[in-house]
Amino acid sequence: MGRSLTDLAVFVAKRLLFLIPVLFGVIVITFFFTHVAVSNPCAVWFPRAKPAQLAQCAITFGLHQPLYVQFFKYTANLIDGNWGNSPAGVPVLPVIAVALPATLELVLASLVLMVLIGIPLGVVAAQYSGRLGDHLVRIFYLSGWATPTYLGAVVAAILIGPFLGLPTGGEYTSTPPPFAQVTHMSVVDALLAGNLPWAGDALVHLILPASVLAFVNMGIATRMTRSSMLEVLPLDFVNSARMKGLSEFVVLYKHALRNALISTTTVLGVTAGGLLSGTVIVEEVFAWPGIGSYAFSAITGYNFSGTIGVVIVFAIGVVIGNMIADILYGVLDPRVEWR
Amino acid sequence: MGEPVLEVEHLSIDYVVGAGRFHALSDVSLRVDPGRVVGIVGETGCGKSTLARAIPRLLPQPPAEVTGGRVRFLGTDLLTYPAWKLPFVRGTGIGMIFQEPLNSLNPAYRVYDQVAEAIRIRRGRDASPKDVPRSRVEPFDYSRGPPPVPTSSALAHPLAVGGLAARSAERAKSARSATWDEALDFLRLVRINDPETILGLYPHELSGGMRQRIMIAMALSGRPALLIADEPTSALDVTIQAQVLTLMKELIEEVRTSILFITHDLGVVAEMADELGVMYAGHLVEYGPVEEVFHHPRHPYTAALLKSSPRRYKADGALDSIPGAVPNLSRLPTGCSFHPRCVLARPECASDPGPSLVPVGTVAGAPGTHLSACLFASDVEAPP
Repeated sequence: MGRSLTDLAVFVAKRLLFLIPVLFGVIVITFFFTHVAVSNPCAVWFPRAKPAQLAQCAITFGLHQPLYVQFFKYTANLIDGNWGNSPAGVPVLPVIAVALPATLELVLASLVLMVLIGIPLGVVAAQYSGRLGDHLVRIFYLSGWATPTYLGAVVAAILIGPFLGLPTGGEYTSTPPPFAQVTHMSVVDALLAGNLPWAGDALVHLILPASVLAFVNMGIATRMTRSSMLEVLPLDFVNSARMKGLSEFVVLYKHALRNALISTTTVLGVTAGGLLSGTVIVEEVFAWPGIGSYAFSAITGYNFSGTIGVVIVFAIGVVIGNMIADILYGVLDPRVEWR
Repeated sequence: MGEPVLEVEHLSIDYVVGAGRFHALSDVSLRVDPGRVVGIVGETGCGKSTLARAIPRLLPQPPAEVTGGRVRFLGTDLLTYPAWKLPFVRGTGIGMIFQEPLNSLNPAYRVYDQVAEAIRIRRGRDASPKDVPRSRVEPFDYSRGPPPVPTSSALAHPLAVGGLAARSAERAKSARSATWDEALDFLRLVRINDPETILGLYPHELSGGMRQRIMIAMALSGRPALLIADEPTSALDVTIQAQVLTLMKELIEEVRTSILFITHDLGVVAEMADELGVMYAGHLVEYGPVEEVFHHPRHPYTAALLKSSPRRYKADGALDSIPGAVPNLSRLPTGCSFHPRCVLARPECASDPGPSLVPVGTVAGAPGTHLSACLFASDVEAPP
């Protein structure tokens, strides 16, 4: 074990292998919960159907079979790449494939906000520890932390958005855009098409949902940065950096923060899960065509295959988020080996 | 002798912790002349490190609070100097070596990045001089250092852990630059063999002695007029201590930097310093030329320190020690802070704090340079 690229590749491969048991567990739990919770889904899907039609529906969807048979059929299909259909007969996988990039765009945008705002706020809080700056930062991140996502999203959509003149729904002002949606990431697609006005429009549409997502999840990054900065600042190498004649800004952000970031990165990886589940509400409120709003409609519409599909994607997202954090951990700290 | 590099005048510093107030430094005055080495000795907690950090204003305020005095560096009072200009004094004006070599290099950056940073800062200031007190030290001659030891390959070095460091050393080698060459020179100056490999390594891949050498190289690469060494060898093993001390002694000859050398080890001071200050409980109690203080101490604390020094250890006798312990700085004794432990103490010592450093005795050629803070300085007996 060490720090070469081979070690990194082995590390990534191991972590991806680790995905298999995680996904299996997640699928088992979600499958049985959804199928046990609703005793007769056909009756829910088609409330006005006659008993004969319901019996036919059960046969069509295989619901007349024992649960374990249904489960094995479902997983066999899953491995074949068939993620099942919605009650209306729409295949799940193509819908998720289109919705996932939009969500990734939203999550990445809010991660960028968390890194660019949350981490410097933590540095400021540590620099003015116990003084006014520290208290102001604490008020800011605690109010984000204490805000339920649904409240923050609704307040942003109803009050802040109209007040600032920011759009509060969708990816573009009018859909569909006049170019091919190659990646299904609104800003990236517009840039790929070389259409700058539409890219700007997409960026403006991204501001509110990404800010809400960042605001409610940022506290942990700020708090972690502050506390690890407070651990790093008394160390001698901070003073030896000062004694080289470096400005306080360089001392704080190049020398101290570089070492404090190690624990912040770990926390950001864990936050990836929070960001993904946060998208369910944020996307629903802001009409963002991502996997979060698909999850919302799948759950409320008793779309079992859709629900399990979303859960699978979220589980992969959490594992990969943590893996990226662990890789960055090794990049930031030369003493860490990938193993 | 010329203008002094550093003049500390009546410096007093308190630490304010909660409701308590600790007198860490009380009325400390000293001066460092160009090219001289001034040693400061004292027990743990006597305020040595506070003094070292107060001079370049590294003490965090709060809890530290300067209650009086001046710190004049090349004529400029640093205590009233605007804080935003302080970085311009550090590095090229005042350099510093810290006690803990394990903590004083940044673990996240390679040795080269850290040394190069200091070199680039000095170059930038050479190119566009600012109106700040600066080094008056001429570039010194590296050629007096030992010749570089040729190495077969960076990859063959035992310290090349995991391959990555060695490969980056190779990569960095191919990107040779003036900064790289100068960093090599400074590493050779501190007698590091195979500097090419060392520059590509991270601090955790190096031993404590090696890291302290790099710290010294880094501090010297700013060519400061004043180098503050705050117990540079205390955290090292005895054998490594000796190596680093030998190195510093040789460097003092080669580099014309003035040095403020802080230590608790009398033996180290005897070898290094030209002048010696003895600190006790935040006070400078005795100050003078090093031979003079050693042979004719004029403060009972100095005499007791010399008596308890292991150099005086005799095979047939127990080691002398000073009775009692260093007083708590928040509850200093009245009068002279040393009187509860002093063999010469008389009733008046409990009420009269004594003079703050008055000339005692006569040093040949320079009367009035040996100072003591004791009421009964003439009664102090030199240890046998």
